[in-house]
Amino acid sequence: MSNALRPYLAAVRSTLTAAMTLENFASQVVERHNKPEVEARASREVLLTPLVISRNENERVLIEPSVNSIRLSISIKQADEIEKILCHKFTRFMTMRAESFIILRRKPVPGYDISFLITNFHSESMLKHKLVDFIIQFMEEVDKEISEMKLSLNSRARIVAESYLIQSYEACLHDLPTNPPTHTMSKRPEICWLDGGVHIVENRWSRVFLSTPVKSG
Amino acid sequence: MSTAFRKIDIDALDEDVLLETELYEPDPRDPHTVLDDAKQKTAQVRSSLSRNDIAGALNVILFEPPYGPNVDDAKSLTLNALLLILNSTKATDISGILRNLDIDQQDTLMKYLYKGMGSQGLADVNGSVLLSWHEKLTEIAGIGCIVRVMTDRRTV
Amino acid sequence: MSAPPQVFQLAQVPLSCHSFNASNDRLVVSLSSNDAVIYESQDGEWKPQETLAEHDKTITSIDWGRLTNRIVTCSQDRNAYVWTEVPDPTSPRRLVWKPTLVLLRINRAATYVRWSPKEDKFAVASGDRAIAICSFDSENDWWVSKLLKKPIRSTVLSVDWHPNNVLLAAGSADNKARVLSAYIKDVDKRPTPTVWGDKLPFNTVCGEYGNPTGGWVHSVGFSPSGDVLAFASHDSSITYDIHVRTSSLPFVTLTWTSEEGLIAAGHDCQPTLFKGSAHNGWKIIASLDDASASGSVGRSSVGRLNNEAFNRFKNADSRGATAQSGGDLFTVHQNTITSVRPYTVGADGSVSRVSTSGVDGRLVIWQVSGGVPAVAALTGRIGGMHLR
Repeated sequence: MSNALRPYLAAVRSTLTAAMTLENFASQVVERHNKPEVEARASREVLLTPLVISRNENERVLIEPSVNSIRLSISIKQADEIEKILCHKFTRFMTMRAESFIILRRKPVPGYDISFLITNFHSESMLKHKLVDFIIQFMEEVDKEISEMKLSLNSRARIVAESYLIQSYEACLHDLPTNPPTHTMSKRPEICWLDGGVHIVENRWSRVFLSTPVKSG
Repeated sequence: MSTAFRKIDIDALDEDVLLETELYEPDPRDPHTVLDDAKQKTAQVRSSLSRNDIAGALNVILFEPPYGPNVDDAKSLTLNALLLILNSTKATDISGILRNLDIDQQDTLMKYLYKGMGSQGLADVNGSVLLSWHEKLTEIAGIGCIVRVMTDRRTV
Repeated sequence: MSAPPQVFQLAQVPLSCHSFNASNDRLVVSLSSNDAVIYESQDGEWKPQETLAEHDKTITSIDWGRLTNRIVTCSQDRNAYVWTEVPDPTSPRRLVWKPTLVLLRINRAATYVRWSPKEDKFAVASGDRAIAICSFDSENDWWVSKLLKKPIRSTVLSVDWHPNNVLLAAGSADNKARVLSAYIKDVDKRPTPTVWGDKLPFNTVCGEYGNPTGGWVHSVGFSPSGDVLAFASHDSSITYDIHVRTSSLPFVTLTWTSEEGLIAAGHDCQPTLFKGSAHNGWKIIASLDDASASGSVGRSSVGRLNNEAFNRFKNADSRGATAQSGGDLFTVHQNTITSVRPYTVGADGSVSRVSTSGVDGRLVIWQVSGGVPAVAALTGRIGGMHLR
């Protein structure tokens, strides 16, 4: 874990531990019901002050405690367009399978990317310190996951672009009616990876079929 | 036939339902007094900080903080003054200062740390400073301090 | 040195409440299901003996009357049953438990039940913003209830009887603890004056207490003399005449051990001993769950005295970073303690052993070691606690 991340996760851990003090509480509004009060919001007195823990504007966690349930929402770091797309796909993948993740909420709270709903039944059937560990681990992993996905996406894009460009380059050569200067021919156009987009390093020949850099994503 | 009546929240009309304002004792002070008080405290904090007296500045600002409705100006003044103190403290001094606070002050400081983190985007808010204060305060005052921020309805 | 606690893993599901019979050889628990289970002690083990199945929602509270050998259960299905042990009609030598439905007249979940000290009445707390005081009507041969309604504004989470059989303390989710009169004309004699007042018709409010820092009142308790009221609320505090805030997680249950001692337990997974008096103030003395005492648990204690392990524990105490790599907490209970009750009560009313039940399915019997901290190392554990 990086050093900058540690105090953030420590704050989330301690706040979540403090909030994970749940008990079985039957609804006092609807008879014979037992609903997560943080979702029902029917009785003001059983909801506690919601707390925000943040590193910066983009990375924050909202913890909404109540007598029998906690809602925890995470805003995941998204530095650029690709990370936004990846984050959306990733959270969507998870929320569509919310049953398998047990504590995952089907829909995130507005303003956040992913939400968890932990009820007293969860903290009873699972050890509560383990639940806290799980959330912390998730937060650690999700950043890592997204940056790894970004890397692999980029390398794929590079390979695709490269093979595509080589093909069209060769096709280009074939179709060229007059003899191009041979000394540049031996060199393939170089494709390098910058700022999350694929660019062609310009040489004289790249201009033939590509006037602007290719942007992936 | 109109169906608008179906959307009436009848639970809100229940006389027995507890309102937010009934869950805590309202601040007996008048909003103007609170605002004047906050301005005065901000000035005191600035003068203490110019003398490098961090503990003194914290003592001033954590005494009877504004809470409840209608005192938003006083609240943001107090928050800004507090952030000023937090930002101008050396990281090595934090624990020593926290140890000298009494339990009321620790609880109040914890409320402001969360408020600060909740208002990211203000000029003075620096996430890493707040997080390091939060970490040290949790170490000293324990997790009970965080629980009290949640239960205390007198939000700052 | 106090004896190690006795640990019994009754189930793998939460024990929401427990109650022993008068001779402590039988025990009734609710496994947070619709049934209550009676366990019998056999060769140091607790064996399930009988299931009390009548409720159709989770049982929230149970009390076994020590004088009259009657069990009262209440549940989220809005009902309470009184169970009496009668000869089985088919084979008269066997005894079976016969339920009697109580007319509670409440429309929300029943949350907590306790027999009065004389066991001629019981109080059922409920989510209907009311407490039902039930007494036996011999004419009609059923239990009738009278409701304490005012000034309760939210779910009542717990009740406790004053030793005079008339006054009742109630803690509720509207952040208040109250002392009310539960005087029933046909049952009670006129009570002698107490510190709580002298004229006590039904539903007299003798006191209403709260904390500035708020928090639902999870548990209330009168001291053995009935003169002092203590309550545990969700702001991690215990309140007597003063407000003792702790650095741990909130307590949800408490029991007095003497006029100057009290044990509270809850989300911190360890019972904590408080001592004090009106003159000297109150403070935490020790945790009964003493991790450094050797062999204090019924499971492997390898690594418990290990220095690194101890440091981790200190860390857990002050920062809430509770998990170690192996995954067990350094406490006997691995999850929230739901109820603490006196187990051995001396002739003078002082409690020398208490029992706790937890969400982790464990039942533990603890020695209350006279309030002397068992080891000096304890100061390290509670060093993070700030008291006033």
